[in-house]
Amino acid sequence: MNVITDHLPEFGSGLLLTVELTLLSLAGALVAGIVVAAMRVSPVGVLRAAGMAYVETLQNIPLLVWLVLAVFGLPEIGVKAGLFTTAVVVISLYQGAYTAEAVRSGINAVPAGQGEAARALGLTFTQSLRLVILPQALRTVVQPLGNIAIMTLMNTALAAAVGVVELTAAANRVNLAEAQPIWIFVAAGLAYMALSGVVGLATGTLERKLAILR
Amino acid sequence: MVRTPATRWATAAAAAALALAGLTACSSDDGGSAVPGGGPAGGKEDLAAAAPVAASLPAGSTMEKIKKRGELIVGGSLDAPLLSQQNPATKQVEGLDADFGRLLAKYIIGKPNVKIVNSASETREALLSNGTVDVVFQTYSITPERAKQVAFAGPYYSSGLVIATKKGETGIATPADLKGKTVIAGANTPAIPAIKKAAPDAKIVTFGSDPECVQALKQGRGQAYVQDEALLLATAKQDPTIQIQGKPFTSDPYGIGLKHGDAQMKTFVNDWLKQIQASGLWAKTWKNSIGTVVQGEAPQPPALGSAPGSE
Repeated sequence: MNVITDHLPEFGSGLLLTVELTLLSLAGALVAGIVVAAMRVSPVGVLRAAGMAYVETLQNIPLLVWLVLAVFGLPEIGVKAGLFTTAVVVISLYQGAYTAEAVRSGINAVPAGQGEAARALGLTFTQSLRLVILPQALRTVVQPLGNIAIMTLMNTALAAAVGVVELTAAANRVNLAEAQPIWIFVAAGLAYMALSGVVGLATGTLERKLAILR
Repeated sequence: MVRTPATRWATAAAAAALALAGLTACSSDDGGSAVPGGGPAGGKEDLAAAAPVAASLPAGSTMEKIKKRGELIVGGSLDAPLLSQQNPATKQVEGLDADFGRLLAKYIIGKPNVKIVNSASETREALLSNGTVDVVFQTYSITPERAKQVAFAGPYYSSGLVIATKKGETGIATPADLKGKTVIAGANTPAIPAIKKAAPDAKIVTFGSDPECVQALKQGRGQAYVQDEALLLATAKQDPTIQIQGKPFTSDPYGIGLKHGDAQMKTFVNDWLKQIQASGLWAKTWKNSIGTVVQGEAPQPPALGSAPGSE
């Protein structure tokens, strides 16, 4: 167990970076997801097509490939951001595709009468989406969004491959010095479990508060 | 040259493809010209033909079990240029570590039959202790920490880390110059602790493979790249935009990883090393791989048991 206690600062900074990556990516994913879901249900054909193209492109290419493309490909055309920033943006956009699908399923779960009533009151498409549909839709998909949050947390480990020293990369570095892979990776695994446990609890609480019984 | 958006995207895609190829352990290749040591000069000479075979194996020993099985199971890499890299055209694994593995197999079994189990620095100790592999040939630096879990024969080769920068970079010549700089290193390489020791406040950025690290250096993600000398010499030879600064600043003794406590096999492997060093086969093996990019005669092999952890 000494290998863990001796290297607490490394584990700590890795854990902190994992949490930062997760929270920032989740915020980004939520914004991207809601925008894309709105596009996919909009009455404008071009927007619907663009939304669908976004989801299909992002979901059908592995996240690791996106990360490597962004980190090594973009600088070749003059777009260079820091590794952490790049990782946040890529993970946000990637998880955004999944979020969009979850939100869209929520929108589809809102009874059609709600939308019709909103239009009958004279609300525009954007207004009815913002004031009537989305609040109900998001309440329905708390649990799927919680799953996406956990998936985002797990996916941040891939940022280790492009030089971000989050928890997995930190564990790797400690192991390089100590050669105790079992203890070190069990510790990293427990830290991930604790984090996803927190996400799960938060999702459960939110769901009990927000879910609409139909 | 005016670059249209289309060609710029093509360049970006090509660069990313390059990096991906490195990430997926070089899944495609044009037959070796881009692979140092994998060209016509490397891996051609039949080293195993003249290699010695042990006169007798102690009854009940690990070596006898290996002979009965008919192949030596080696924990190694398939993506380390000059050391242990699979040639995609021939499927043959080429390089210094791969050659030594075949020679040891010949010594034990009489035939150079080797099965390489792709191992990583996270798994080597476990693979040895649970008997998945017989030996590890994988630039396995001998350290006292590791020696608590595995036995090290050798050292069989001594390498060192050097600093590479973009061409024309001045002001980084010695490890002390890395202070406060962003330094690129391969993930899971001895370069990370070495940089920490030489320049504690340097920021270390790691990438999974050598091609990725080189790409990152060229794109300015760090001012310097610290890597094994042989590897960097090969890179700098192919890529005129990369420059090596100064001489190696560390000495990494590579050992042959064996199961912890198997003193009989350790003595046996050390005897074999003594034999091939005396007969000149060691130098031939070096010439066959690292000697294809490093000028001059083969260096003096390190003295057996000289590294702390290999006694």
